[in-house]
Amino acid sequence: MSSTPSPEAREAARAAARWLTRMEFDGDTFDSAALQCWRDSSAHHEAAWQKAQRLRQRFAGVPASLGMATLDRQALTRRAVLKRALGVAALVPSAWLLGRALPLEVWRADLHTATGEQRSWTLVDGSTLQLNTDSAVDLDLKARRLELVRGEVALRLAGSTPLSVQSPYGLITVNRGEVCVYLADGDCRVSVLNGSAQLQPLRGPSLSLEEGQQVNFQASGAGPVRAFDVAQLGWRDGVLVAQDQPLGHFLRELSRYRPGVLRWDDSLEPLRITGSFRLDNTDRILTLLAASLSLDVHMRTRYWVTLTLRKKLA
Amino acid sequence: MCDAVTPTEQSLHALYRDHGSWLEGWLRRRMGNAWDAADLRQDTFLRVLASSQSLADLQEPRAYLLTIGKRLLSNFYTRRNLEQAYLDALASLPEACAPSPEQRWLLLETLQALDELLDGLPPLVRRAFLWSQLEGLGYREIAERLQVSERTVKRYMAQAYEHCLLVDF
Repeated sequence: MSSTPSPEAREAARAAARWLTRMEFDGDTFDSAALQCWRDSSAHHEAAWQKAQRLRQRFAGVPASLGMATLDRQALTRRAVLKRALGVAALVPSAWLLGRALPLEVWRADLHTATGEQRSWTLVDGSTLQLNTDSAVDLDLKARRLELVRGEVALRLAGSTPLSVQSPYGLITVNRGEVCVYLADGDCRVSVLNGSAQLQPLRGPSLSLEEGQQVNFQASGAGPVRAFDVAQLGWRDGVLVAQDQPLGHFLRELSRYRPGVLRWDDSLEPLRITGSFRLDNTDRILTLLAASLSLDVHMRTRYWVTLTLRKKLA
Repeated sequence: MCDAVTPTEQSLHALYRDHGSWLEGWLRRRMGNAWDAADLRQDTFLRVLASSQSLADLQEPRAYLLTIGKRLLSNFYTRRNLEQAYLDALASLPEACAPSPEQRWLLLETLQALDELLDGLPPLVRRAFLWSQLEGLGYREIAERLQVSERTVKRYMAQAYEHCLLVDF
């Protein structure tokens, strides 16, 4: 572990950090004489400056692609890693754990995914939980309760003990089987893949949902119950499925999985698209779209992409 | 110096004897693996030995051991998570660009050290810093990618530099 730095070393580190950023920010106009003056004025200053140079060299020795992939990985914060270790016993056989007196923390966890990330967990009771891109839930297994904070969750119950899913617009009680809940822009959608569930919206009577049924609900209450197309939930298998879908609709869906900005011309909206696209590489999806629909993809950076109709050559 | 057992050693032995297997059991339940749990048990006691906490007046020894054990467990998973990301990244490199086996391990060690160095930085600060150090991006490009102002990037960078300079490496 590191030793506690002295106040002088602390001050020097802060000042060195400022000099470094000033140097990088100012570029050619940087006053290097002033820097030299600062370095000469104290041994602490010079030591901090030398340490900063060593720091930069350490990074310089790492190939950018490997370094970024590793150090900028979907960084579970340490807290999240710990929670994962404690909260969700993916590594522990559930039969072993069941029936033992476990500390509360083992049954509770905050789980989340970043944009473009999908993740699944096996819970201590054997149920499975899958989070789609940019999603977060708070899980309290002891209370049989899950709160959907944002995004989309798929839940498959292992037994027949109900579990409730709290959303901002109502409470869903999953009796058994498998459900998907999606929360976006003031609207929540629950789909029952198999088994059954009960929805108590904020307003209006509660509804029973059976296999193959879906309902949207908002602050004002629930809409009509209807059948749904299971292809819409292809994300659970890592694919985005479109069946003769307007392109605008497809792109809005796709942009959920991409960090940054994805924009397109209005003229693209009505084009139709059909296909199954693997979500693990959304750049590739854009390339495929461009090829099959004659679009141009303008990437200012990976995070700023604009799609336009390809201009016809005269 | 001599064979006399110091009070610290004595209480460490007592701590180990009374709570060692309990701690290992706790770790094993979480890790599902006896070997890793045994290793972490040893590591936990090494940390106790290295710490300045006076063992004689430890009120709740198990709570204290758990605090250290949890931290080590967390590090263990962070490390495993990093290794996995590294192996995935290696696998996706074209054959010609892949480093030699020795380089691979050296690089992994460097990456682990850097990961620890950056631990505790907010995600955006960390990302801005990595873009700057690894990809050589300027503040303007970073600002564009993160959709923040250049001033903010400058602040992020200062925060990251200061953080790193305060860690022993």
